[in-house]
Amino acid sequence: MDTRKEIINRLRSAPRSSSEPRPDVPPLPELALGRSELIQKLMDELTKLEVSCHRVVREEVREKLAEILVGEGITKVIVSNDRIVSAFDLSAWGKERGFMVYRSSDFNDRDTLKRVVFEEVEAGVTGVDFAVAESGTLGIIHDHNQPRLVSLAPVTHIALVPTSKVVPIYEQVVDEVFLKGGNIPSQFTFITGPSMTADIKATPFKGMHGPRRLIAIIYDDD
Amino acid sequence: MKIRTEEFNSIAKKEINNAYARAFLGLLPPIIAMRRVQVMSSFPNPDQALKLSRAIRSESIARLPDLLEEFEQKATKSGAKVLWAKDAQEARKLVLSLIRDRGATFVTKGKSMVTEEIGLNEALEQAQIEPIETDLGEFIAQQLNRPPFHIVGPAINVPVEEIRDLFLREGIMKEDTTDPVQLGYAARIYLRDKFHHIKVGLTGVNMAVAETGTIINVENEGNIRFNKSSPITQISIMTPEKVVPSLRDAMHIIRLLCRSCTGQKISAYVTLDTGPKKAGEIDGPEELYIIIVDNGRSEIYANPRTREVLRCIRCGACLNTCPVYTKIGGYPYGWAYSGPMGQILNPLLLGLDRTQDLYRACTQCGTCRDICPGGIDHPALFLYYRSCDVEGNEKLAGKKRPRSERISFSLWGLAVKNKLLWNTALRLGRFLTKKYSSDGWLTNLGRLFPGWFKERDFPSISDSTFRERWKEMRKGKYGHP
Repeated sequence: MDTRKEIINRLRSAPRSSSEPRPDVPPLPELALGRSELIQKLMDELTKLEVSCHRVVREEVREKLAEILVGEGITKVIVSNDRIVSAFDLSAWGKERGFMVYRSSDFNDRDTLKRVVFEEVEAGVTGVDFAVAESGTLGIIHDHNQPRLVSLAPVTHIALVPTSKVVPIYEQVVDEVFLKGGNIPSQFTFITGPSMTADIKATPFKGMHGPRRLIAIIYDDD
Repeated sequence: MKIRTEEFNSIAKKEINNAYARAFLGLLPPIIAMRRVQVMSSFPNPDQALKLSRAIRSESIARLPDLLEEFEQKATKSGAKVLWAKDAQEARKLVLSLIRDRGATFVTKGKSMVTEEIGLNEALEQAQIEPIETDLGEFIAQQLNRPPFHIVGPAINVPVEEIRDLFLREGIMKEDTTDPVQLGYAARIYLRDKFHHIKVGLTGVNMAVAETGTIINVENEGNIRFNKSSPITQISIMTPEKVVPSLRDAMHIIRLLCRSCTGQKISAYVTLDTGPKKAGEIDGPEELYIIIVDNGRSEIYANPRTREVLRCIRCGACLNTCPVYTKIGGYPYGWAYSGPMGQILNPLLLGLDRTQDLYRACTQCGTCRDICPGGIDHPALFLYYRSCDVEGNEKLAGKKRPRSERISFSLWGLAVKNKLLWNTALRLGRFLTKKYSSDGWLTNLGRLFPGWFKERDFPSISDSTFRERWKEMRKGKYGHP
């Protein structure tokens, strides 16, 4: 008998047990917030996580991004090709402002992309598909326009967060991404603050493997 | 890792005198426990939130075979390859052949307790494939060849000087420093190069979602994300009980997992993988293997009593609150799983005979049960293990107690059921123990019951029993009231 059958059969032949009664999902307070309170809650949570938050209007995003890069001393960035980032035409912006801007869509093989994200650039710029107020969590769908390594390998991750993407709690995200009957992404990532550890002497620090800095530019788009 | 569960007492004795570890244990677990309480209060009704996660785990276990098949079907449909392994040996063989076929000379690993359980690293080393742990704590514990001190911080107790010496010796860094942050960054740079060039990434699985065939990893460092983004092949290893019914369930469990584990609302990264990368995607694995390792779980499942342990989500909250763990740390438990979590799990995986002191090292205080997000009643399980051990339960490899102890208890049982026998035995006992009695206490009985008298005294048998005094009183010896 093959291993799979053997395991399943053994589980099936075990005496049945009943499960405990299931209480409702406790109503989380974020569900009761209005739009502007929700955005404020998101920013509060992000700030607690030591994420630098910048609230601007849409027209100021490129200016803010340039200001941040100059402030951090960053000259080389990679930008993802998702709809949010594409709308800002950052290639042209980079030329104007004197930043070296790689677009993830410039690469069609894994090794070249890896060389650039691991060794060349100092920051990755991505859009986000969700921003969850509950815990200051950014949600990203990975696909051909949103490679996984852009928000992971560079030492700084700058996220562009349109306020229309702000939702109260996680359930709304998984319903939208996984249960609407559309294409399920190969990977979905929830990001909550920069990479961190406290594994040596319980001393916490940021940037263990992933980004040391996470910067959010939050702008109104609706 | 050498299994040393039989040396519990001797290692515990050594560790309890380790001042450095003691200072650490006095400080850290209470802080994490306090943070847990703080962040639990972000729920409008913390009890209800806890109850729900327990109910989800209860349902996951009740429906385990169905959910497992549903998960397999959905994961396969998404393009993942699901493989099954009966035991540790089969699992090692599967992983080894996958790695060999891809010509990898090293693999990077995300933290995975099950790979420690099946001894994967040793098998890889023997096959000339270098396993590189990438969680900072595991990375250090691996090089020092030690079991995890704590499930969340496997090397959190190791002095910085020791880490410095290790990193200098192994060429992980050149600069002489004991700054924890600089040590961490040295490991970052060393491992970054590995992440860049890996062919195969290995990870564990925090949850497997039946509804969609999705596997979920929860982490803070980003090493697991690298293991799932950079290489062409991803191998994720799980045990059957990781499965949950739905994504909504999974997200609620994550709320409790992170609060219980580190006192966070959610960890820095939670990644949900459904199948390998799609055509046109530039990174992510071209092939995703999910290996389901039984290694005794279906046997554990067969017994409705032991089935309860499968509800564990490995948050580690029980360690931080356990009055025993917080004195001795993780080493005495002798294996991958420590604290109450290890005490319920190791005896079932290794046998009651090889883990005698584990399920006895409990004060039955029940704080582990009170906070467990999986809803496990640890103290009740310990009592069950003890009774199975005494009865010599064959399935669980119960050992029975020593002959002398069994005889003593048989005699005791006989005596307490018979008035004449009891009174005679009592008088005899009083006479025989008289010479050991001092100040109303017996501190030893010569060579009898050394185990008892090593730790505690016994009240002397009094000069007259209640019944004798009652009789005397009726005769008027003490005067009428």
